[in-house]
Amino acid sequence: LRNFVVENDVATAMPCVMVALKCLQFTQFLLWRWAMMQKIRAAIALMLAFAAPLCAQSGPKRRPLPYQYGRVILNNYTTDKTWVAPVVFDHWRHRAKFTCRLCHVDIGFMMKAGGTGIRAADNMSGYYCGACHGGKALFDGNGKALNDGKPVFAACSNSMTENDRLRCERCHSQGISDKSDADFLRFAQPLPKERFGNGLDWQQAEEQGMIHPVDIVKGISMAKKPMALPKEKEQLLTAKVVTMPNIIFSHQKHTVWNGCESCHPDPFASVKKGELSYTMSSIFQGKFCGTCHTSVAFPLTNCQRCHSTPVGP
Amino acid sequence: MRKLRIAAILIFIGLLSLSGARAAAGDAPEAWQKEFEAVCSQTQDAMGFTPQQLQTLVHRCDALVPQIEKLDDVRKRVFLPRLRQCRGVFTYVLESKNESGSK
Repeated sequence: LRNFVVENDVATAMPCVMVALKCLQFTQFLLWRWAMMQKIRAAIALMLAFAAPLCAQSGPKRRPLPYQYGRVILNNYTTDKTWVAPVVFDHWRHRAKFTCRLCHVDIGFMMKAGGTGIRAADNMSGYYCGACHGGKALFDGNGKALNDGKPVFAACSNSMTENDRLRCERCHSQGISDKSDADFLRFAQPLPKERFGNGLDWQQAEEQGMIHPVDIVKGISMAKKPMALPKEKEQLLTAKVVTMPNIIFSHQKHTVWNGCESCHPDPFASVKKGELSYTMSSIFQGKFCGTCHTSVAFPLTNCQRCHSTPVGP
Repeated sequence: MRKLRIAAILIFIGLLSLSGARAAAGDAPEAWQKEFEAVCSQTQDAMGFTPQQLQTLVHRCDALVPQIEKLDDVRKRVFLPRLRQCRGVFTYVLESKNESGSK
């Protein structure tokens, strides 16, 4: 009987032990899960702590739309007290008509955001935007009228009427009017296409005579002979990674748009072969080729435009 | 009365000639500007110059700096970087020529 009782007790006790064991296991699981959760939470908190300043530094990254690529917002002196909105400058509008050299060398626009420090007074004195936007007709180096002979609207003025407001808003347009989308579609329609940036192959458009960027404007540029393009056509730069196609660099193609001063001595300062170390990381940071090819010229995501030699066996 | 009239006419003529001179000075390029254009319009031909010619152009650029620094703020902001760019090209080509000459 005792045996029976004991056995019976064990038999009756077994489920209880099992339940207790299960409870213990479950508690352990909960504790483990809680600990894991704590770890995960801690990891998330750490990630956020590191990511927040990084995000704050670089801002939200979004690939710009074709008509927005190369857009610069000039907000140097606009305050809550001034009624004018910040200036929206789309590079493509001017790139379609003028070389980079004209604005960045002859007129003196810096290639660094905020580097020029343009003021309305400067424009009114006939410098920076005011060099061309002075309410007068412009002529190229050969005396040919630009803008179909029509005067170019004046950039800034001290006295203005309510009617002038529309003229001001042609540039001071952030948050007011944005016709860039429609204008760009109309402009881009006949031009050769590309995958990235503005979605246009500017170089081909220029070579095929679809656009004629003016390099010299009378009264702004210095009188000089037409530029003799470098004799050496293309230069081969060896890629650092074996499987990566080498780079074909053309001085000629760059000189058409940029002249000499835009690239030498800054950002390509050294003349000694191999002294400058071009890394993709530095280029992505906006150095060397990245000076233009991260913001206005075709972007670095278009690898094949530079790394264009066939890879041999 | 007659003396007063003569004095008024003289003052008027004086003022006219002064304003004319100022206008003429405003239109004509100043000496530094002429030199600036003479030097910086040669950047595109830099590859064809001898090291001595390039050295001379660099010196001419350096001589322009104090003259441009005396100008008003906006002209300083426009022309000093422009002069730096121009000098930079000459120095760059000069170094490149010296480098290829030393090999």
